[in-house]
Amino acid sequence: MTVIAVTLPLSLAYAGLTALALAMKRHHEAALGAKPPATRLRAFRVAGWVLMALMVASCLRLWPTGLALSMALGLVTLAGLPLVFLLPYRPRLMVRLAPILPVLALIATAV
Amino acid sequence: MAWLHTWSGLLLGWLLLAMFVTGTSAYFREEISLWMAPELHHSQPSPDTPALAWAALNAKAPDAKSWDIQLPEARSPVAQLRWQPDRPQAEDGGRRRGEQAVMDAGSGELLSPRASRGGDFLYRFHFELYGVPRIWARWLICVATMFMLVAIVSGVITHKKIFKDFFTFRPGKGQRSWLDSHNATAVLALPFHFMITYSGLLIFMVMLMPWGMNAAYEDGWRGFFQDVFPREEPAAEGGAAMPMVDIVPLVARARDTFEQPVRRISVDWPNRDNAVIRVSTAKDPHITDQRRGGNPTLVFNGGTGELLETRPGDEAVPGAFRVYNLLVNLHLARFADPTVRWLFFLFGVGGTAMVATGMLLWVSKRTQQLRGKAPGAALRLVNGLNIASLTGLLGALAAYFAANRLLPVELAARESWEIRVFFLTWLLALVHALLRPDRRGWIEQLAAITVLWAALPLLNVATTDSHLFSATAWRTGALAGFDVVCLLMAATGGYALWRVVRKQPVRGRGPLPQRRTAEDGA
Repeated sequence: MTVIAVTLPLSLAYAGLTALALAMKRHHEAALGAKPPATRLRAFRVAGWVLMALMVASCLRLWPTGLALSMALGLVTLAGLPLVFLLPYRPRLMVRLAPILPVLALIATAV
Repeated sequence: MAWLHTWSGLLLGWLLLAMFVTGTSAYFREEISLWMAPELHHSQPSPDTPALAWAALNAKAPDAKSWDIQLPEARSPVAQLRWQPDRPQAEDGGRRRGEQAVMDAGSGELLSPRASRGGDFLYRFHFELYGVPRIWARWLICVATMFMLVAIVSGVITHKKIFKDFFTFRPGKGQRSWLDSHNATAVLALPFHFMITYSGLLIFMVMLMPWGMNAAYEDGWRGFFQDVFPREEPAAEGGAAMPMVDIVPLVARARDTFEQPVRRISVDWPNRDNAVIRVSTAKDPHITDQRRGGNPTLVFNGGTGELLETRPGDEAVPGAFRVYNLLVNLHLARFADPTVRWLFFLFGVGGTAMVATGMLLWVSKRTQQLRGKAPGAALRLVNGLNIASLTGLLGALAAYFAANRLLPVELAARESWEIRVFFLTWLLALVHALLRPDRRGWIEQLAAITVLWAALPLLNVATTDSHLFSATAWRTGALAGFDVVCLLMAATGGYALWRVVRKQPVRGRGPLPQRRTAEDGA
């Protein structure tokens, strides 16, 4: 198990959590600076859960089921902490990282 | 429910913090032990290691009662040799301790590492403290762990806006910021905390709830363990002298049979006509539900090399036992490859942060309520204990490692002196913190730990040849990793120091928040 393999579920967890944060009105306004319509919030919520499902799936590919589910929970923590601290200080960066990180992780995993 | 969370958290917080810090370090117990034995750093595994170990034991203890060889693996580059001399048990005080030696896996030379408890001291401290009767310490730890479960559950109930505030962190607002960071570290890692607490209790299940076992077995836990983990006793008597076969083909056969590297060789009655050789391989690293039956093993007749038995080591176990195994293995990270081990280490750091932020929040909240008045004795005491249990413990840890490099190798009872340095440093930090339970106390101790941790890699350069600038340290990743973690600890300490120095004390600034909401109850 290389470190690189873990970057994919980790970055997916980050992206998923960011989408879920953007699905909340307060954080959406702080990060994107606009009053969001309800439909957009719902879209972010769906996207967030889809990303989280993908994240669990990528964990299941890496580890046997029992460990994978535990690791999925742990990786949500690891991805969530930087997110929580980026949100007040660098909200724009937080949003931009969300699509970039999983793409980088995919490239790194493929190489 | 808020008071329950506040007070159970505060009263056991200091103990929990020490458990979290030492327990987190225990994920790297073997790596720490290796770092603390520089004499072993040059050992490099080779294909000849089993043959070398075989020869070493034949020279050292040809007529022992039993041999046990632990071959090198990723986390330990040396071979551990143990043997049980063939003499009456009473001489060893009734305990079958036997003798042991460490062998350079490349050269076959026997090494004499400096006396040190290494990572084992921290690992043991994590669940039985030190100098306290073991059973008392274990009960105390279990009570603290149960209170942690209480604190987790009551914390979730207290935290009413758990979903709404899931991502909320409001910096620069004193008490509010501590509350937010306590919530963030606690809620995000809630599943991990629950798992680590609950599985920690499971490990002591037999001690905590012995009634079922005592009812079913006349001899209590002894009978229970004999049934659950059967142990085979070797033949009572050694036979006539008879040379054994070459070990190398047996090792190759076990490796080919199980397609895993050989980890361990044990022999009953070596060099006798009833010698039995067991060659065990590693388990498939992905078996989380480690099953009964130990590692895959081939059993040979020692004199002829004939295969007596094949034990695949995967006997099925009942469902409840598998759940127990899974949880305990998760707690111990027993199956973990380096990446998973690092992740667990980081989760442990997160748990430490959760306990620490909770305790800082307690002080911050009460300091803010003073509105500039001088704090009373109780608040000063709590703040002092916070300083000692957080920065003091981290300083003592660094001092423990430094003592390993600085104490003379030939010092009598050296391993106890290392531990004494640990506790004396901690005591010193406690006295200092109680004398200055304020911002100055934090600043001075943060400065001290920054210097101490930054000094460790330098000390390593001065006293060993396996430091950050050597090929040896990078060949065995654990050694370089240790020094890098030291530098990260120093950087973290330095950053915290910078934040505390820069920040004006919150005390007395502005009015208190007017509206008391449920979440302020923490």
